[in-house]
Amino acid sequence: MTTKKKKKNSADNSFAAIEKKIDKKATDAHEMKPSEAVSSEGGTMSESLIMVRNLEKHYGELHALDGVSMNIEKGEVVVIIGPSGSGKSTFLRSLNLLEVPTSGEIIFEGVNMLDKHVDINVHRQKMGMVFQHFNLFPHMTIMKNVTIGPMKLLKVSKEEAEKRATELLKRVGLADRANAYPSQLSGGQKQRIAIVRALCMQPDVMLFDEPTSALDPEMVGEVLEVMKSLAKEGMTMAVVTHEMGFAKEVADRVVFMADGKILETGSPEEIFSNPKTEKAKQFLASVLS
Amino acid sequence: MYFAAAKSFDEWFEDLQMRFVNDFITDNRWKYLWNGLGVTLKITAGAVVIGIILGFLVAAIRATHDKTGKLRVLNVLANIYLTVIRGTPVVVQLLITYFVILAPLGVNEVIVAICAFGINSGAYVAEIVRAGIMSIDNGQFEAGRSLGFNYAQTMWYIILPQAFKNILPALCNEFIVLLKETSVSGYVALQDLTKGGDIIRGRTFDAFLPLIAVALIYLVMVLILTKLVSILERRLRSSDH
Ligand SMILES: Nc1ncnc2c1ncn2[C@@H]1O[C@H](COP(=O)(O)OP(=O)(O)OP(=O)(O)O)[C@@H](O)[C@H]1O
Ligand SMILES: [Mg+2]
Repeated sequence: MTTKKKKKNSADNSFAAIEKKIDKKATDAHEMKPSEAVSSEGGTMSESLIMVRNLEKHYGELHALDGVSMNIEKGEVVVIIGPSGSGKSTFLRSLNLLEVPTSGEIIFEGVNMLDKHVDINVHRQKMGMVFQHFNLFPHMTIMKNVTIGPMKLLKVSKEEAEKRATELLKRVGLADRANAYPSQLSGGQKQRIAIVRALCMQPDVMLFDEPTSALDPEMVGEVLEVMKSLAKEGMTMAVVTHEMGFAKEVADRVVFMADGKILETGSPEEIFSNPKTEKAKQFLASVLS
Repeated sequence: MYFAAAKSFDEWFEDLQMRFVNDFITDNRWKYLWNGLGVTLKITAGAVVIGIILGFLVAAIRATHDKTGKLRVLNVLANIYLTVIRGTPVVVQLLITYFVILAPLGVNEVIVAICAFGINSGAYVAEIVRAGIMSIDNGQFEAGRSLGFNYAQTMWYIILPQAFKNILPALCNEFIVLLKETSVSGYVALQDLTKGGDIIRGRTFDAFLPLIAVALIYLVMVLILTKLVSILERRLRSSDH
């Protein structure tokens, strides 16, 4: 498919925009550049959605992130690849502070996430996360799984939360399983529900950490399809994956990490057909063979 | 030989009947057991409530400290509480609660026993609950936090309901133990089930029947509760959610 997404003015996005304004008011004090609010259809990117500067993470002796800097633009799909242990997960999980970096800066929607005075819980609501092992709540029905966030955190009414959830469940083809429990679903179904759970919070960015790695091969496709359609609608996404086909087809930018550093970044064509570093060449040879 | 044995059995049985009447019927002595049972159940029920509240509180403090490093001071206090309570006999705790702390204030004995046994039970509940919290996959915690729930909300909506399901059988067993442990309530002038039997023994100078009756009543209660727990366990296991 040649359609490379342009930020769409879908219902989702306009809703998100309204919410962001509200969110902004609450966090005015921590804003770096108020000019960001003007970003709109076709407007100039005055500021990236996420700006990461010199991120460092140490686990004792281990240097898991070694000066990582990166911008993620609104509507962009960034795919992060690299060998095992290169720090991909650590980086992704740093973005919403599930992992607290040792030093560096993460500016999300103009707010410095590492500022002590920032209420991280408010900003996490705007960053959906999808995990390798789904992590659905086993004691809740699917409907409860996907509505508990909006109801308890966004104070959306039950009816409205369920209405929205049903729409999204329909989109991933699982509306009929609303009353099932996670244990009654296949892996692929669970992961699609996990994506819906994150989407129900109407996030501004979605983070995926190897969303298909725990799936049986025949279920990988259904999850990737959902992610593709999200990308097409203009959702900002950061995806750690070993699915090179997905990266080639959907990514606006591919980032290659090794030893806690970003070694290469570029369009899928650049990275896949013309890797510059030895490590990237080796890695791509091993995964593409 | 046969007649001698038969005769002595008849005699023995007649004697037993007489003792039974004397122990339980005369002067409505069965009421010592009945009322004692009431006291035992009251103390147990009250202690269960206090034990659960205290236990979950202490477990939450300990788990929070383990996971986040916060609540240092409270965690130290919780550790002292656990060490002292689990390191001393419950009778001694009961006596101290009564004679040292509450009797001078004129507090009702049942309340004293409820407090003493509740505080005692809380320590054991706390460790059960903590183990339950720790047994929940950390991914659950991360999923909750990634949606934007704070630590307490994640605990409340996501972790504790799952932990509670896992530990329910262990909790029930703890309360069965508690039921039996309240049998030392007589030390603080309470007429619980055990004391009731003992009072009858004092009146009739017959130890056998009253104490066997007391033992039987405990046994029946424990058997019923144990059965309920095993049914509960099976139910929980058969439902995956
Ligand atoms: N909680 C932790 N404690 C200690 N070391 C950790 C922890 N989490 C990650 N690491 C280490 O940090 C390094 C980077 O790990 P990370 O999980 O980010 O790699 P990755 O690129 O996601 O690898 P994979 O493809 O295997 O998921 C690894 O060496 C890992 O062992
Ligand atoms: Mg990883």
